[in-house]
Amino acid sequence: MKFSEQQLAEVKALIAHYPEGKQKSALIPLLHMVQKENAGWLSAEAMDYVASLLGIEPIEVYEVATFYTMFNLQPVGKHIFEVCQTGPCMLRGSDELIAHIRSKLNIGPGETTADGMFTLKLVECLGACGYAPMMQLGANYREHLTIEKVDAMIEKAMQGEAI
Amino acid sequence: MGRKLLLDKANVEGIRHYDVYRREGGYRSVEKALKTMSPDQVVEEVKKSGLRGRGGAGFPSGMKWSFLAKPEGVPRYLVCNADESEPGTFKDRYLMEFIPHLLIEGMITASYALGSNRSYIYIRGEYWWVKEILEQAIQEARNAGWLGKNILGSGFDCDIFVQPGAGAYICGEETALLESLEGKRGNPRIKPPFPAVKGLWGCPTVVNNVETIAAVVPIVNEGGDEYAKIGIGKSTGTKLISACGNVVKPGVYEIEMNISVEEFIYSDEYCGGIANGKKLKACIPGGSSVPILPANLLLKTAKGETRMMTYESLSDGGFATGSMMGSGGFIVLDEDQCVVRHTYTLARFYRHESCGQCSPCREGTGWMEKILRNIETGKGKMSDIELLWDIQRKIEGNTICPLGDAAAWPVAAAIRHFRDEFEWHVMHPEEAQTSNYGLAQYASPLAPAE
Repeated sequence: MKFSEQQLAEVKALIAHYPEGKQKSALIPLLHMVQKENAGWLSAEAMDYVASLLGIEPIEVYEVATFYTMFNLQPVGKHIFEVCQTGPCMLRGSDELIAHIRSKLNIGPGETTADGMFTLKLVECLGACGYAPMMQLGANYREHLTIEKVDAMIEKAMQGEAI
Repeated sequence: MGRKLLLDKANVEGIRHYDVYRREGGYRSVEKALKTMSPDQVVEEVKKSGLRGRGGAGFPSGMKWSFLAKPEGVPRYLVCNADESEPGTFKDRYLMEFIPHLLIEGMITASYALGSNRSYIYIRGEYWWVKEILEQAIQEARNAGWLGKNILGSGFDCDIFVQPGAGAYICGEETALLESLEGKRGNPRIKPPFPAVKGLWGCPTVVNNVETIAAVVPIVNEGGDEYAKIGIGKSTGTKLISACGNVVKPGVYEIEMNISVEEFIYSDEYCGGIANGKKLKACIPGGSSVPILPANLLLKTAKGETRMMTYESLSDGGFATGSMMGSGGFIVLDEDQCVVRHTYTLARFYRHESCGQCSPCREGTGWMEKILRNIETGKGKMSDIELLWDIQRKIEGNTICPLGDAAAWPVAAAIRHFRDEFEWHVMHPEEAQTSNYGLAQYASPLAPAE
């Protein structure tokens, strides 16, 4: 993989956030950038590219990529349902919501539907407890979820619309 | 109505943008500090205010600032901890999302006080759209001359950068946060040295919570003494409380620290009571790590005094009969909720979030999760309850960072106050799957009648 000129300029601007010689600090923001570029996941090739951009060893990238839950180390579906299951969401029905999504999509946590449309991830507290139950979808949150709302999202996605 | 110092303007139309924020009196604290005060005078005002760290520990902020080492020729850093991840807590997100310039203003004033020319806001990666809101606010502030070189002709230079995390509760621990900001795994460091001496890239660093930094704005504007007049005793000023669980109106509330827990839960100004006409069973008043309290101990202390929303009152009775203010993540459980199941979800959370450095935490959190799952699913033994108690006791205090304590306390408190509910699960494995132990003796005398 290779960044465009414009993306390389972004990388340069990012590295300027840190003092001289501290460009390793750009690693996490860069992994986010590369993951977005690489269909939502980090391949070994993508991680090696990040290492080359920062002038660090590939292992320094792998050890970080494997630590943080937002980085996907396997291919993912087009839409990733990251449903919160921690206490405050549980108090407002996340268990039932998760059970519904599992049976509706016929996949378990961490799995992707055969058509590559949906991935289900069960995640821990996303800081939206007052608006529970909720999920992260891409760069945004979907809150005050109900089974009907999730069904409508799935329906729309199946018809190729943005959700 | 209590006074609001942070969120008073949060509902003004367009307040997210610089022009409106400035028109409403924004950035006055930067003007006042840079034009009329020395950095040490700003620190002095924060000391006088009695402000305590709003992230959870409640350590006096002015004192934390005064510990910052100032060796000649070495840069100092201010890092804002916006890694809000404690279950039940979503107050910082609200502040950043709706009134982002308040945080930027606080960052500039605090950076001046501490001598930080390059400051960072470390925000959890999941709050991606909030990161974009903050970056927009920073750009606006820079365009208006509040950031950059020689701000207001004072000779003070300052830049602020937003750094995203990528999903790790542990990065809310300040040394793990610094590791992450350096582009590494979020493994907490052994202290000492504390960040005030050796922090970001080995330089003296102050790490403060979002709400703490935002509170610097009213403190500088009105003076530390004025701020300290609000509240009771050592709980000065206002506090953001994020209420969730089974209340009528979950959400973020700014309270003066002089109201009772009962008023916070039942008053229409705040939570509006328990949802669906149910009764209050229990509450975790300060984020998932602090001890859960049954309704009777929540509303009144063991001495029979009214429990107040202050640091001191919430912790009255120690862990035997009290809890903590913590982060202000206020989780309410109604009569239909199962304490064992709730505790199990928290144990799973801590197992998931343990960084794995220290054996007691790495092994203990997974073990506790497994036992709690067994009890919850009807496969538990009476001896498991003692085993859980034993494990949590052996985690607490035996780890590099406080995540071990945070994992131990919820389990300990659940057993301490709800042991009969655990025993009921063991004795009625079938029934425990379909029904709930209920209120037992924990019923709130204030709950509405059937």
